[in-house]
Amino acid sequence: MTAPLSGRQPKAVRSALAVLEEVVAAGPGVTAKEISAALRLPPATTYRLLNLLVADEYLVRLPDLKGFALGRRAARLALPAAPAVPTAARAVVEHLRAQVRWGVHLASFTTGQVVMIDPDPDHPPTAAPVLARFPQASALGRLLLAEQPDWRALVRELRALTPHTVSTRAEVEAALREVESAGWARQLGELHADRGCLAVPIRAPGDGRLVAGLALAGPVARVAEPNGALLDLMREHAERLAPLLA
Amino acid sequence: MAADVPPLRDRSPVEGLRRRGLGPLAVFAQSVSGAAPSAAMAATPVIVAASAGDATVVSFLAATLLMLLVAACIGQFTRRMAAPGGLYTLTAKGLPPGAAFACAVGLVVGYGLLAGGALAGAGQYLAEFAAMLGLRLGGPGTAAVVVVVAAGAAVLVRRGVRLSARVVLLVESAAIGLMVAVFALLLVNGPAPGPPADVPPPTVGGIAAGVVPAIAAFIGFEVATVLGAEARRPFRSVPRAVGATAALAGVLYLFAAQTQVFGFATTPGGLAAQQDPVLTLAVARGWVWVPLVLDVALVASFLACALASLTALSRVLFSLAKDGVAPAALGRAHPRHHTPHVALVAIVPVVVVLAGAVAAGVPIGHLLVVLITMATCGFLVSYVLVCAAAPLFLRRIGELTAGAVGAAAVTAPVLLVALVAFVVVSPLPSALLGALAVLGLAWYGWVRWARPAELAGIGVYDETLSTDVLGGPR
Repeated sequence: MTAPLSGRQPKAVRSALAVLEEVVAAGPGVTAKEISAALRLPPATTYRLLNLLVADEYLVRLPDLKGFALGRRAARLALPAAPAVPTAARAVVEHLRAQVRWGVHLASFTTGQVVMIDPDPDHPPTAAPVLARFPQASALGRLLLAEQPDWRALVRELRALTPHTVSTRAEVEAALREVESAGWARQLGELHADRGCLAVPIRAPGDGRLVAGLALAGPVARVAEPNGALLDLMREHAERLAPLLA
Repeated sequence: MAADVPPLRDRSPVEGLRRRGLGPLAVFAQSVSGAAPSAAMAATPVIVAASAGDATVVSFLAATLLMLLVAACIGQFTRRMAAPGGLYTLTAKGLPPGAAFACAVGLVVGYGLLAGGALAGAGQYLAEFAAMLGLRLGGPGTAAVVVVVAAGAAVLVRRGVRLSARVVLLVESAAIGLMVAVFALLLVNGPAPGPPADVPPPTVGGIAAGVVPAIAAFIGFEVATVLGAEARRPFRSVPRAVGATAALAGVLYLFAAQTQVFGFATTPGGLAAQQDPVLTLAVARGWVWVPLVLDVALVASFLACALASLTALSRVLFSLAKDGVAPAALGRAHPRHHTPHVALVAIVPVVVVLAGAVAAGVPIGHLLVVLITMATCGFLVSYVLVCAAAPLFLRRIGELTAGAVGAAAVTAPVLLVALVAFVVVSPLPSALLGALAVLGLAWYGWVRWARPAELAGIGVYDETLSTDVLGGPR
């Protein structure tokens, strides 16, 4: 029904962004008349833009139906900011690094993406844009996806980064079912052919909400082993991290 | 700037329905089924032709433009708010409570009797279908069919709008597809050979009188408005569904009218002189399969219409109960299906009266006409009020435009004239309507006496919640 965006309405796009900015600047409750006056936009144009932005949920109408405020969807326009890591949490991660010869990474999920908040300085993890773009291929990303009602909402593209990468819907679903039943995640050579990764969830002590993940990265052959003792060690550290990160 | 921000609620005042889950296609399908264009394609052109003659198409064109304007007036509200109460809740935002209440009565009468009419239609064509297969149902048999169909429809609507929307979409598109195929075949074959018939030239008055029954063909096109709280992106999908339904129905009617006028161009008296024009055209060509196909399409269309109008009726009553002006039990929602299942009982009296009349031997086709005529009057009352409310609402929130005033200035008076014309030309339904109006007034009197505060605050809708706002609690 909608015509493909031609990109030939620069004025409309500019005005829509100006309207959004004005709602932020004026604060919740600003009315259409006030926005139109502040931006010197014709009223009819302002109303149309406001209705469009409300339809797309970037803005909401307040219960008096006159005033506007930013909708929850507007959060997507800002770069997701990961929380700062408390020193006590860094100490827990360092403690684990001293005990294993693997790369130890701490990632936050609170923004709805995999964001490294304490990557191992000696064993650098996969580049952040790759982790954010292909959550299905990383162990940490699978923890996050397994928690979603519909994982497809967070997956932009199924691409085979290596010959081992999960690259069909069915494969991703099988991998996520495994995460759900095991309570931890693993990937073997799916981001880099020779590297693999284990990850355990860090959950808020009160409501059990997934806030972060703790990952160990190493050679594929080592990651593929059962690693029971190693997982226990990770879980123990994850439990100590939970009250510090939630 | 932006001094006092009104407090936000944590829970919707119309809680109980499944919030923001229905896709745009399902919303559109409900509205199309409410209008039931395939049934009207077969039945309405001949009624319009009785006054408009050869200019039947012009009458339909005028009605289509009018209904597009009505859709625009409704869109002024549905782009800004989502309400399960439909038109009456919207009216409450622009006109005083009494007018909103009158609109609610109009809607309850409209949806209730439209559902009754659709059940009668389904019963009639199922009985005809059975007769073609050599099975004569008779009065009591047809009444039993009506009751069974009503029960089935209620079960589907109770199970949830998602399921019934899927059924409706499938059934209605099949009905429209069959209708368009039959009409296209008729159009391609042209009129019977012979000299042009001697039809009196149409007058302006005749064309205007033809607009009135043509409007009746559109009623129910606004059903999507009651799904506001349940639609995923209501401020986009609901106004689009209502506007697109008016446009689609208009195009189908123009096509159907043109086919039938053209088909009888060489017949004495033209289309207006016909009893059952589509069947006559088909039989004249020796297409004996057409009646069968038409029957299937009509049954399908009426079934979809019954589902859509039941969905709407239950939500309007649910909303009235939430407003505190109807029994609180009607405002209960099913804990698992999230549908206003108690409000569905409102259809019981309609079904009882309908089935009783059919069993007693009243021709069901006659009942169908009476029910649809009365339903149309109910809808016209609510259309007039919602159109009049639109500019007042926009002025209140400070977003009035010249276009909105223009649309209301055209639609409200024209619809009012149509309503008067409708009541005047049909004496039997008018008497029954008078009785319903008295009931409505008694209801209003009770509410004014017992619940004055609730009446003054009429018009609950699905407000923005604190969780919808950026920075609110998660």
